[in-house]
Amino acid sequence: MTSSELMIEARDLRREFGNTVAVAGISFQARRGTIFGLLGPNGAGKTTTIRMLTGQIDPSGGSATVAGCDVVKDRAQLKERIGVVFEEQNLYERLSARLNLEFSCWLYGLPASRADETLELVHLRDRAKDPVRAYSNGMRQRLMIARALLHKPPLLFLDEPGRGLDPISAREVRAVIKQLSEEGTTILLTTHLMEEADLLCQQVAFIANGKIVANDTPRSLKLAHGQRALSVTLASDAQAHNGAEPFNETTINPDNPADQQKLAQWMAQSKVLAIHSREATLEEVFIEVAGVRPS
Amino acid sequence: MHIRSIFAIARKDALDLVLNKSTLVMLMTPFLLALLFLMINLLLSNHTTNVLVYNPGKSGIEQVVDHESSGIKVTYVNSPDQVTAAFGPNGSKKDSSYELGLIVPANFEASLQAGQHPQVTLYINGSNMSDEQSQLLINALNNYTRSVANPQPPATIIQTTINPPSPVNPFQDIGQFYVVGALLGSLVVGTSLVPHLLVEEKEKKTLRMLMVSPASFADVIVAKLLVGLVYQFLLALVAIAITGGFAIGGQVPLLLLFTLLGSLFSISVGLLVGSSINTTNAAGAFSGVMSFLYVLPLFFVGTIAQLLGASPATQIIKILPTYYIADGASKAVTNANALPATMLDISVIIAVILVLTLLSLWTLRRQAVVVSMI
Repeated sequence: MTSSELMIEARDLRREFGNTVAVAGISFQARRGTIFGLLGPNGAGKTTTIRMLTGQIDPSGGSATVAGCDVVKDRAQLKERIGVVFEEQNLYERLSARLNLEFSCWLYGLPASRADETLELVHLRDRAKDPVRAYSNGMRQRLMIARALLHKPPLLFLDEPGRGLDPISAREVRAVIKQLSEEGTTILLTTHLMEEADLLCQQVAFIANGKIVANDTPRSLKLAHGQRALSVTLASDAQAHNGAEPFNETTINPDNPADQQKLAQWMAQSKVLAIHSREATLEEVFIEVAGVRPS
Repeated sequence: MHIRSIFAIARKDALDLVLNKSTLVMLMTPFLLALLFLMINLLLSNHTTNVLVYNPGKSGIEQVVDHESSGIKVTYVNSPDQVTAAFGPNGSKKDSSYELGLIVPANFEASLQAGQHPQVTLYINGSNMSDEQSQLLINALNNYTRSVANPQPPATIIQTTINPPSPVNPFQDIGQFYVVGALLGSLVVGTSLVPHLLVEEKEKKTLRMLMVSPASFADVIVAKLLVGLVYQFLLALVAIAITGGFAIGGQVPLLLLFTLLGSLFSISVGLLVGSSINTTNAAGAFSGVMSFLYVLPLFFVGTIAQLLGASPATQIIKILPTYYIADGASKAVTNANALPATMLDISVIIAVILVLTLLSLWTLRRQAVVVSMI
């Protein structure tokens, strides 16, 4: 992989707070245009890693290059090339959504019209004049994404974007993230919600106790750590009006010749209603790899 | 330091302060206080000043007397002797129904412009006017003559005072009390606003957003100070104007200097507070204490201090830096030649501002480290 293809390259990155080791030497790479997920339970070191990568705090050791900038030496350039969406909803509540964005336009020296364009992108144009305190959690989250996107950064950091959102809001936010990725923005997101990561990320790194314990695509991780099994749903012989389910489920091993024969027989009898592979979920993989629950 | 960032943050804060009900009330307080002082002043100063005037040429100098005295009633006479007779010679004791008398020669302004140094006679009844009021009136008359013609002095003003000057009457000179009170009361604004602006950014975690923007921590601090100073200075000026501080007399540039020094002192206290505490509630509580310390020296300067004499309280109050703002402003309001008398006040205030700023910088260096942990 050439360095121009890499948007993030962390090399043995460490951070200590007094005697507490928050990040214990992590290394990973994120390619341009991908959604990279940093997954782990609360306190695993995800937010500290983001703070180091965004230049908010200095690493205690190691180094990192983000969007072509050294996170310690090139901090001013780094700020121009990244957008950050924080875990907490840190908006100016008394100001309208538009004024929140206009303020960021002033900071970056952008025309105020950019605020309207970005509000359109996150579908908040209709509520642009409302004070942020009147916004739902999902709307605030989208507004924070809009704020981070104002200066069109090639790299976006999202710290726990799904935290505290109801399912509908979470889906709206995921849609925005996917849209950004499709438009070419590289995204690094941290989350303890494994389903969210599974739906969004092309690559994930599991972090536990300040260390990366696995780093691959979600599919590879699930295939590597999941069971090789098929879940087969069969039409039931029992009568539905007796109160019994009109089908039953069974699990078979596709590598077992006896199970292969059984499956062929059910197929011939037209009893098979559905077949699913039984790959592991990311959560199951995380528990297996890290030895702790993600949340 | 990034000018664009500083102005962006300052612009946002200036707007946010007006949208925030609690800070809006804070901003309105100096107006309301000044209006209250104005109302009290109007209610208490319903005294009529009787003036006897001989002014055959209808000179504009008469307007100066009108402007400098409250509730004026002018009686015109046809000869200067009538004015002289009504008051008597200098130093005499006489029960006169007039507080002031004025004899202005005909063609006064023309004589001034011709460089003839015409003579104006001002009669003062000491029973009703203090030395300070007399001095202010004479200064105002001199200023008028200088505005008509340049030669120094363009006119001769002869002062004749009958009856010994009255002892200090704080209620007669109450105008300066209100002006200084309005100034001191307004100083709470800067001390409250700056910590509020700083602490709210920390409390609401918006400071983290600013730290990943092109703004630096120093930009944030400078922007907050700028907003605090502009609001503070403007509100102090308005409060002084409402209470008539720029029209009483005295030395306006010096009063402006004390307003600026007071504003700088106010925001430097605010900076120290803002860098030391982390909640808006704590900032609010501190502002309450500070408002008391700001207003307290008001009762130990000017004519009220003369009444109190050299009491122990007067000496103790001098440990408060705000005393020197009050003292300097009071002298600037009541004395047209107050600069030499206020040098100590100016020096003390500047020294305190420097000490507070250095303390704040030391605290902020630690704070800059803390910011990264927020």
